[in-house]
Amino acid sequence: MNKRPTIALAGNPNVGKTSLFNALTGARQTVGNWPGVTVEHKEGLYLHAGQEYRVIDLPGIYSLSAGSPDEQVARNFILTEKPDLVINIVDASNLERNLYLTVQLMELQTPMMLILSMMDIAKSNGLEIDIMHLQSHLGYPVYPLVLNKKPDLPALKTSIQHSLLNPAFPGIIHYDEIVEQSLTRLDTALLPTIPEEVNLRRWTALKLLEGDPTIAQKVPPVILEAVAKETKAISAHRRQNVDAVIADDRYGYIRGLTKDVVKRQALSLHTFSDRTDKVVLNSYLGLPIFFFVMYLVFLIAVRFSQPVIGYIDAALSYLLVEQLGALIALTIVPEWLRFLVVEGIGGGIVTIGTFIPPIFFIFVSLSFLEDSGYMARAAFIADKFMRRVGLPGKAFIPLLVGFGCTVPAIMATRTLESKRDRIFASLLTPFMSCGAKLPVYTFLVMIFFPQRADLVIFSLYMSGVVMAMVTALLLKKTLFKTEPGNFVMELPPYHLPTLNGILLHTWHRLRDFILRAGKTILMVIVLINILQVITIPDPFTRRTAADQVQPRVPILEVGGKLITPLFYPMGIKSDNWQASVALISGIFAKEAVVGSLQSLNREPGASVEENIAAKFGGWSSTFAYLLFIVLYAPCVASLAMMFKEHGTRWLIFTVAYLTALAWVIGTLFYQIVNFNTGSWLWIGVSAAIAASFYLILSYSGRNTDHAIK
Amino acid sequence: MLSNRHRARLRGFGRKLFNTKKHCKRFDGDCLSLADVPEPMHATIYCNGDITTIERGLYLGVMIKVLRNDITEPNIIVAVGDARYVLDRRVANKIRVRIGD
Repeated sequence: MNKRPTIALAGNPNVGKTSLFNALTGARQTVGNWPGVTVEHKEGLYLHAGQEYRVIDLPGIYSLSAGSPDEQVARNFILTEKPDLVINIVDASNLERNLYLTVQLMELQTPMMLILSMMDIAKSNGLEIDIMHLQSHLGYPVYPLVLNKKPDLPALKTSIQHSLLNPAFPGIIHYDEIVEQSLTRLDTALLPTIPEEVNLRRWTALKLLEGDPTIAQKVPPVILEAVAKETKAISAHRRQNVDAVIADDRYGYIRGLTKDVVKRQALSLHTFSDRTDKVVLNSYLGLPIFFFVMYLVFLIAVRFSQPVIGYIDAALSYLLVEQLGALIALTIVPEWLRFLVVEGIGGGIVTIGTFIPPIFFIFVSLSFLEDSGYMARAAFIADKFMRRVGLPGKAFIPLLVGFGCTVPAIMATRTLESKRDRIFASLLTPFMSCGAKLPVYTFLVMIFFPQRADLVIFSLYMSGVVMAMVTALLLKKTLFKTEPGNFVMELPPYHLPTLNGILLHTWHRLRDFILRAGKTILMVIVLINILQVITIPDPFTRRTAADQVQPRVPILEVGGKLITPLFYPMGIKSDNWQASVALISGIFAKEAVVGSLQSLNREPGASVEENIAAKFGGWSSTFAYLLFIVLYAPCVASLAMMFKEHGTRWLIFTVAYLTALAWVIGTLFYQIVNFNTGSWLWIGVSAAIAASFYLILSYSGRNTDHAIK
Repeated sequence: MLSNRHRARLRGFGRKLFNTKKHCKRFDGDCLSLADVPEPMHATIYCNGDITTIERGLYLGVMIKVLRNDITEPNIIVAVGDARYVLDRRVANKIRVRIGD
């Protein structure tokens, strides 16, 4: 056994793979990306009997066909990294479908162990699995488990240790005679290319017959000619494409196996999930339930977080601003350093602390929806109206994740099959107000609309959704004229998620969020404080004969005053330059808007809230400002992800389109609410900008080189 | 020299002109499309060339049950063993089945 054996966890989505990973590794895990792709990489460690084990949670996949990045990652890991043990987690309540991946893993000929999860659901569905019989057929250990309840970890770890000490290699799957004959001939042809490993040769031959493009690139052309000949022969004999023939044969083996080892006590015609779906997916009730659930998510995030924000704010302000300030005042440090540490870093941490509750509750709600199985139902319900705007229903999941954070939302578009759908959905994710925008909404709404805060916040979220739909319709008519990709999705059975699972899921997202956003926010706040201290001669005030020296103002004030006229049509007056600066800081991280507004509006004689209220003047300019925040360019982290996924062209489009749209909507709202003769000018300018965008997009769409397929 | 735009138009015209409805290789006239199976009927897959759905268990000979098929909706829901799938009507149209069996 290796010094630190590597164990790979592989399985279909929603089989409890992550639950097992969490149970094995606990908090000793790191989350990142697989090199070169934005597929989540989870790695953890655990100790058992004095030995350290490395566990890799491979992405949830249905097969190893390398059709998606997830499948490619899983396959490449097993082939190149050669883990000491592959633990295949199989849903016992859906054995036949899950064994398809098992068969493909067996073909890779690596040491394996099979874990049958959801044994309780299988039992309640009347399924009885003869584990010993299954084990004897497969040729490697099988371990039954109920992952929702606390598993017997010591026993499981001992079994894993035993499998590592006595690795069991799976048997070979035999195909139809004509396929076997082709495999034998290709095996001989591949002998000079892969001389040592017999199993790898057979697997390569199989993949070549399946038409795997990655494997085909690695073999000489003469072999490809032989493959084409064999493919033609099999296809003519079976009247099917060869990949379908091989998949059918695998299922033939699985069907025989399950017939042998599974006894169905009672035919479960309608499961609990089926009965629930009758209501949840009902033609009339489905949509109201869907909107109710979404409203509930925001209600929880806003209502539950409010009291917690107050406590966190008070506690952190006391510790990091008051007490730390008092402590530093006792020492001999320069004023600028005290200011930097107390107001900059201390104040920054207080600001970050107040973001945690709403983001935490949003992530808890999303994790609950995902783990319970409702998210897939929501995608089905959403499909009806998603189709109308040119997207498949599956694109709803990344959009929903966008309410948590835009970065994972763009990453989640990877689950969509076509490039068109991936780009299209990615462009819409910034419209979904991320968790970072919630503190901004909460802060401003509590100042201007304290009575109906939840309703105003919900309307802001909805305005983002409405604008996403409008944008989607525009893009569908111009750039994305083709039909959305095919929609094939599993409806997982409903589960009661475990508290541990939800909290761990939430913790990973929150930790990632705090680390990523926290660093940026701190940097922005410190930078703003520094720019507020450095002064330059005021270019906006003319020196009179009576003035001895030119009045000096902070550099930040000058910058803010320079760009504030752009926001004048939205009701941002020239004395409210702080609002403009806050918008710039929001490009680094949306939460930084609050921090900037707070630190820039600290003036003696009145509270921060009173100063902000006085500068914005009324509710209409505040709401227009909030609408701008809902819609304008996402944070740098999201833009970086957009660049990584879709390139410079779409990055520029995102920034330009969203910022222009935000300005148009903010201006239209303010000018219509405060209508006067001057409003016509701004309404005209807004209409001209909108028309220009439409014309540019139409022109790009007509050009076949730019249209996305 | 044709521009890209005109080349694409010409290609589209050619496709329309020469496109004849192709049945699957196993078509024998005694089967219908999965999208046409009413709920809550059982059906057996007779021909499926789509690898994605085969890999999810809709292989030849498997019995499925149509749980939901509303013509106003773009998808249907089918039960395959203990799994439930939402299938795009366009995908379901390509899968040929026989009722009952």
